[in-house]
Amino acid sequence: MEIGKNIIGLQEKLRILSDAAKYDVACTSSGVDRKGAGGAIGNSVAAGICHSFAADGRCISLLKILLTNHCIYDCKYCLNRRSNDVERTAFTPDEVCSLTIEFYRRNYIEGLFLSSGVFPSPNETMERIYEILYKLRKVYQFRGYIHIKAIPGADETILDEVGLLADRMSVNLELPTADSLRALAPHKSRDSILKPMSRIQKKIVESRQSMGQTARLERAWGVKSLSSGLFREESYQKRLEAEKDGAPLFVAERGAGLPSVRRRQDIRTFVPAGQSTQMIVGATSESDYHMMMVTQALYRQYDLKRVFFSAYIGLNDDSALPAPGTPPPLLREHRLYQADWLLRFYGFRAEELLSEEAPNFNVLLDPKCDWAVRHLEYFPVEVMSADYEMLLRVPGIGAKSARRIYNARRFGRLDFPDLKRLGVVLKRAHYFITLGGRQMFPVSLEENRITAGLISDNRKKNWKLTHEENYRQLNLFDDMKLEAAPEIEDFKKAAGGQL
Amino acid sequence: MKGFLCEDSLEGIFTGIYDAWDSGLGHENVKLFMKGQYEPEFFWEYEDVAPDAEKSEKVARSIRRKISGEAFRVVYRAALSAREERADVIYRFLIEGFCHGGVALRLLQKKAVADVFELSRKVANEAHQYLEFIRFEQLKNGVLFSAISPRSRVITLVAPHFADRFPGENWVIYDDVREEAAIHMAGEEWVVAEFPKAQADAFLEDQGEADGYVDLWKVFFHTISIKERENPDCQRNFLPLWYRKHMTEFL
Ligand code: SF4
Repeated sequence: MEIGKNIIGLQEKLRILSDAAKYDVACTSSGVDRKGAGGAIGNSVAAGICHSFAADGRCISLLKILLTNHCIYDCKYCLNRRSNDVERTAFTPDEVCSLTIEFYRRNYIEGLFLSSGVFPSPNETMERIYEILYKLRKVYQFRGYIHIKAIPGADETILDEVGLLADRMSVNLELPTADSLRALAPHKSRDSILKPMSRIQKKIVESRQSMGQTARLERAWGVKSLSSGLFREESYQKRLEAEKDGAPLFVAERGAGLPSVRRRQDIRTFVPAGQSTQMIVGATSESDYHMMMVTQALYRQYDLKRVFFSAYIGLNDDSALPAPGTPPPLLREHRLYQADWLLRFYGFRAEELLSEEAPNFNVLLDPKCDWAVRHLEYFPVEVMSADYEMLLRVPGIGAKSARRIYNARRFGRLDFPDLKRLGVVLKRAHYFITLGGRQMFPVSLEENRITAGLISDNRKKNWKLTHEENYRQLNLFDDMKLEAAPEIEDFKKAAGGQL
Repeated sequence: MKGFLCEDSLEGIFTGIYDAWDSGLGHENVKLFMKGQYEPEFFWEYEDVAPDAEKSEKVARSIRRKISGEAFRVVYRAALSAREERADVIYRFLIEGFCHGGVALRLLQKKAVADVFELSRKVANEAHQYLEFIRFEQLKNGVLFSAISPRSRVITLVAPHFADRFPGENWVIYDDVREEAAIHMAGEEWVVAEFPKAQADAFLEDQGEADGYVDLWKVFFHTISIKERENPDCQRNFLPLWYRKHMTEFL
């Protein structure tokens, strides 16, 4: 398309429609491997690729825009709501296609993340999105990544068509309870959100079955392979039973190898990179426990690929919301991402991390450390013989270092410097482990002392935590030594609070 | 004590390994260096290694056969590093590798193994970052041109990705440190060629053109950041300043 003539007009549109889209946190391009092809443009890399980092430290992977910011709805937390007086505009399908293709050719982006205000109706909005998608895939032969936001209230038939061309679809839950939703998003309902979500899930299942695949193949390692993972109800219950009898948390099976990580071979046709959703943190009064239980339920019931959290930023002056200018609850968002990570890759469950009685995360300790100091009865762990899953639960040992220990110890004794080489953060881990029956330093296993130690180990960080508003320097991987990022993007986004 | 001085190429390093091994002086009495990247010491004898395709091929074959294909890839990446100790690190790893075979790569508790891994990982990370941060500029003749200043010699690691992604485009990825480029013509295989700076400059001079998408990209880049979350430290952490030299959004 000839854009030279109207470049200023297009710049204005892009400014308005990317500004309106920026509060959606998901910008991942992960989940699907698709090779390039002659006569076409683009490919997709399952690990995802970030192309730049904005001034807020968040990764830019996709061209994240709204098709239009006109909207017939009036969600209280949203800048584009009908009752706000903001500049409104809309892209033409050709404009979206040219921007996507030309940005892509210059290696600015991995693809497109297209969302939209609802205008003039859910169906018409979705149809226009479909038109863009169709052009990109069929006319431009675009094989890069496309994430489409499903518009609540649109017909299933159109969702089904979109799902055949998109890589990922998402429907944002936005608020964890039906009550909050009613209060803040009067035109949406729990039902209008969950319906498209289950429709997408259903179509995913169908297309998977037609390829002879099961859901298991696509699930995160932690939820399916670890014995207390979200999809391992039976073995989790067994563990709980055994614990009552005083059995150790995990028992290493002799000679058992680690389950291997299988790569997905064929791409199924319907939403191959899976479905995700997003919840706003801090606009309403739900506790962390509540958020995590909902997250867990979403993974289980809808087989979502990801649940994203977005710290609420006060944009609208509304009595139902925190006042504009209230700092976004970034630390809380960060803790939720850490916990989400523990669910997906470390085989934890929400109810192990929080409870009705202690419904919020510790401000000073990350959820994994916090869990460990509350469960000193399981420690110290003997590194030479402990089960893989138990190693995973030691603060300072990440998924990758646990795997390395597992592999290395078969070939002989390890000592503490060896552990360091295997990637263990001894500063944290040493309280919780023995090696050949010996501790690194003689410290007794007392909750208060260890907590104090873990906290002072991060004195600087904690100073920031308590004295600075800026919690953002916190780095997930620093905190938990989660160096095993299964998706490189995950790794990067964690720190930007975008994971 | 004898030092073997290798040329900066896979062949140079592998030949050095062959010669050092073959010298029969014993592993603890030899050390490999990169030509022009070492400090001569007293009581050391130094030998210039002339790259030799046959010796190099023998080393490559032994690594694949006696250790593993994966080990070869690790070694290959380590050899692309710019670190002065790279040849010797590979040599020390191969001692373990030929002794333990395929499992050697799992023996991360051994320093020689951990070292080669570390080197290889750094190069792989850098290569990955270039998949992210390379920016093409569209020239008058339609060529997509990108200049980079990598620490490691990454172009052979990044070119396959772009060949798969843009099979129908003419593109150039130019390493301005080593003055060489990966060049891809539409529909063909990519090649690596020497590309002297003067030639690159003249080419750009001739073909450079104002591109409306540059401004559009900058608009997007600046708008997409959320003011309330601004965090330059975090941004710098992921996108170190030295990468920005060639990145459209920072120019
Ligand atoms: S539907 Fe609600 S959240 Fe979406 S654009 Fe309209 S007002 Fe905003």
